[in-house]
Amino acid sequence: MKKVSESQLFELEAHLAGTLKPVTPPSELVQRMRSRIRFPQPKEINWQIGNWRRLFVVYGSVMSGLLVTITVARAFFYFFRRDI
Amino acid sequence: MPDTEFNEEDVLTRASQGDRDAFGQLYERYIDRIFNYVYYRTGNLHDAEDLTARVFQRAMNHIKNYTDRGVPFSAWLYRIAHNLVANWHRDRSRRQEIPINDVPILPSKGDHPERNLVHSQEQEALLRLIRRLPSERQNLLILKFVENMSNAEIGSIMGRSEGAVKSLYHRTLLALRDQLGDQNINLDND
Repeated sequence: MKKVSESQLFELEAHLAGTLKPVTPPSELVQRMRSRIRFPQPKEINWQIGNWRRLFVVYGSVMSGLLVTITVARAFFYFFRRDI
Repeated sequence: MPDTEFNEEDVLTRASQGDRDAFGQLYERYIDRIFNYVYYRTGNLHDAEDLTARVFQRAMNHIKNYTDRGVPFSAWLYRIAHNLVANWHRDRSRRQEIPINDVPILPSKGDHPERNLVHSQEQEALLRLIRRLPSERQNLLILKFVENMSNAEIGSIMGRSEGAVKSLYHRTLLALRDQLGDQNINLDND
């Protein structure tokens, strides 16, 4: 059985520490991965929320307008039908 | 994001309820660590990118099933990464091997590029030996040196006791030292 030299192991640990260092993934790689995973950026989320609100208001306005128009048309038809 | 503003429990709860912004915060917090782990396990920048993205895709798809059983979220992510890397090695062993010598060494945090060049031959020799170790021992070395984790933290990720990790670490060092001797690789002192 080989006799374990502590100094050899310390030396090996030092080399491991010098070799296995944290690396920084390039920022474009992080962005590319982010887009692959497809979760939106915070700015994009804000834009999407704002956009949904805007769409809701537009949809609501159109529907309300349509209801008013139909009601007026029905009323007009009800009151003046006999005269036409 | 500074740690003081990051409440992982809260972010995890929101992420598990389908909040993608919350998952984005988890991504920002763990991307470097998972990338480092995958990079050192594959030794290949392109595959590291691909596998890291897949780790987070899988995590996002399954985060609803994540339950805190005293194991940190990072351990859950590392296990996903470990499984994907194991699959990658299995698939790769069926195909043509790519020489590991062609792998570029990315600059380390806070390291001077010239210093990297001087040490690259020695580092490559040591990295080749590390990559021949069983995957469990590779994991241990990466978590200890790259992630700077304690034996207890490593144990929580690997599902082993602190003592078992310490013992495995010692046996790994001995195995590496023997392999260096067998292959006449001399690691010069700085």
